[in-house]
Amino acid sequence: MPPLLSTLFKELRLLYRDRSGLLVLFVMPAVLVVVVALVQENVLKATGAARMDILFIDQDRQTFGRIIREQLDGVEGVTLVTSLDGRAIDVDQARRLVDGGRYQACMVIPAGITETVRARATEQISEAFSGKSAENAPPLPHVSVYFDPLVQGAFRSSLLNAVKQMLLALEMEIKAAALAEALSSRLQRTPGAYLGPMPLGPADVPPVKMDPSWGARRLMDVVAEKSRLQKLPTSVQQNVAAWSVFGIFFIVLPLGGAIIRERRDGTLARLRTLPVSYLTLLLGKLAACVAVCWVQFLFIVLVGKIALPLLGLPVLSLGSDSPALFATVTLIALAACGGGLVIGTFARTLEQATMFGAVAVVCAAAIGGIMVPVYAMPPAMQAISQFSPLAWSLNALVEIVVREGSLGSVRHELLCLAAFFAAATTMAWARFGRIDRRGEM
Amino acid sequence: MIHPEPPSLADLLRAEGLAKTYPQARTPALSSFSLSVGPGEIVGLLGPNGAGKTTAISLLAGLLAPDSGSVHICGTDLFKHPRKARKWIGLVPQRIALYPSLTAAENLSYFGSMYRISGRELKARVNACLETVGLAHSAHGRIDAFSGGMQRRANLAVALMHRPRLLFLDEPTAGVDPQSRNMILDRLAELSRSGVGMLYTTHYIEEAEKICSRIAVIDEGRTIAQGAPLELAHAHPGCSDLGQLFLQLTGKALRD
Repeated sequence: MPPLLSTLFKELRLLYRDRSGLLVLFVMPAVLVVVVALVQENVLKATGAARMDILFIDQDRQTFGRIIREQLDGVEGVTLVTSLDGRAIDVDQARRLVDGGRYQACMVIPAGITETVRARATEQISEAFSGKSAENAPPLPHVSVYFDPLVQGAFRSSLLNAVKQMLLALEMEIKAAALAEALSSRLQRTPGAYLGPMPLGPADVPPVKMDPSWGARRLMDVVAEKSRLQKLPTSVQQNVAAWSVFGIFFIVLPLGGAIIRERRDGTLARLRTLPVSYLTLLLGKLAACVAVCWVQFLFIVLVGKIALPLLGLPVLSLGSDSPALFATVTLIALAACGGGLVIGTFARTLEQATMFGAVAVVCAAAIGGIMVPVYAMPPAMQAISQFSPLAWSLNALVEIVVREGSLGSVRHELLCLAAFFAAATTMAWARFGRIDRRGEM
Repeated sequence: MIHPEPPSLADLLRAEGLAKTYPQARTPALSSFSLSVGPGEIVGLLGPNGAGKTTAISLLAGLLAPDSGSVHICGTDLFKHPRKARKWIGLVPQRIALYPSLTAAENLSYFGSMYRISGRELKARVNACLETVGLAHSAHGRIDAFSGGMQRRANLAVALMHRPRLLFLDEPTAGVDPQSRNMILDRLAELSRSGVGMLYTTHYIEEAEKICSRIAVIDEGRTIAQGAPLELAHAHPGCSDLGQLFLQLTGKALRD
């Protein structure tokens, strides 16, 4: 058997016999997927307390758009974004950005809504007085809101309710204004018609009749636009993506530990007297770890496909782009292995490696949005999360699994992961050379 | 147990003028170190702690690059053609350089496959090497379940898998019971008779006296005496054995 394959099988055997390592790699993420998916199944992902960035497109550019914008600006935790890089946002661009998860929603105030609403108010009052329906009433205009498919529940309904209330208040103002105008004119006209030649007492003046249901008729509405996704994302998809990334990165512990043990036990010295390059041995080690990460991912997928439905949760769906999924999981595994190499070469003892590795993964996971969505973090943490390999991994996997994205839509994240792997491997190699020169093997 | 195609048997090991100073160290770990090992010869490298024995073995086995000097293994320059030269080397490190969670047979198979030994040949060599060190009955036992003596013997067996011409043994009997030590020394003597050259470091002077054909004593990175054990002892007045010579040459002060 060639040395590379031989090393690969040796590493797999070592990992297989490392029971506590297997527990961390396989059982921990599987348990997290089951528990958190069950907990989140009916719990709405985003809460009203979360901070949301909403793209706001005002095509009306009259009273309405301005008033809605001012009122939404006053809502705590909501930031309205009206332009990007100093340029106005168009609807297609906004939907793309929301689909990509960059913003949580976009709101479009359609052109001419101010005029239409006013016309409808006047029309409704006229109908109310006359008791006749207008033949050519303008259609019901609506403010549309397009949500990120991942934003569900509380935020979705609270934003829609807030906008509905705003619109109702505006309607009342408009209707009141229109009614005041109509009453004033009607009161002037109606008695005048009878007060001409002979004066009459108030009891003889006919009452102004009005349809009592007019106030309930809507002048406008707010509508949540349909998502581009055929199926709404499930908590199972999101949790499988999140916790498999978390679990994969825990490969840093057995990999870092194996490197330190080889150094500590003198096995590395023996390996370096072999007529095989250390690169070959390292590649064998990396191949074994990537294979383990894949098995780990498939195991979590099986949990999502088989175990979770038995607990009453939806069956896991993995998106439709298999090559993109393959590339994403492989690059996540390589990035995680890069981290393991760094820990294995920089830590001096197993205790250091275990402690630093675990803390680093948990911190990077927290920063990367595994535990709390990035958009719900304070702005400073959101900025820091851009540098977490777990954030790149999660974004890429969520894009493929949840948003049904493609290789093209995750290329930025994949490049970041590849660059991280290259940088980590270079760092580890440089450190290895330094240890070698100092004779600290 | 000898590798079938040795390119040069004149000197299995020839090291000349080796020097090494570690980065940030003020004094050299080794300077002007020269040594040769011929076929079947067991050369003992003796010295107190910190004398430079491990640095010497590391340089001779190609684990460290020297600041100056050269090492030839079976006529091949170790630093110019490391892969070629390493084929003739077997290293028995001071520590148990094995994978504890693998069995003895798995460890031997893995290291054997690194020399591109495969299939039936690999199995046959695994069995033969385990037989040599008296571990045939424990082939499928995990290293971490072995006693200290068994681990030492397995450590030696791995180094024999590719039938090296030259063995570097760094305290191969440290911490083992007399039975295991006796067996290891017997096997080394057999290997020597079959033509394998050895460089042997130990703190057990009587052990060196028993199996080494030549001794090199080093201290503070320099070779301070070299020759056959008894000749060396007799050449120094007041020394009747190697132990006395060692203390006379290196002093009685404690070393850190």
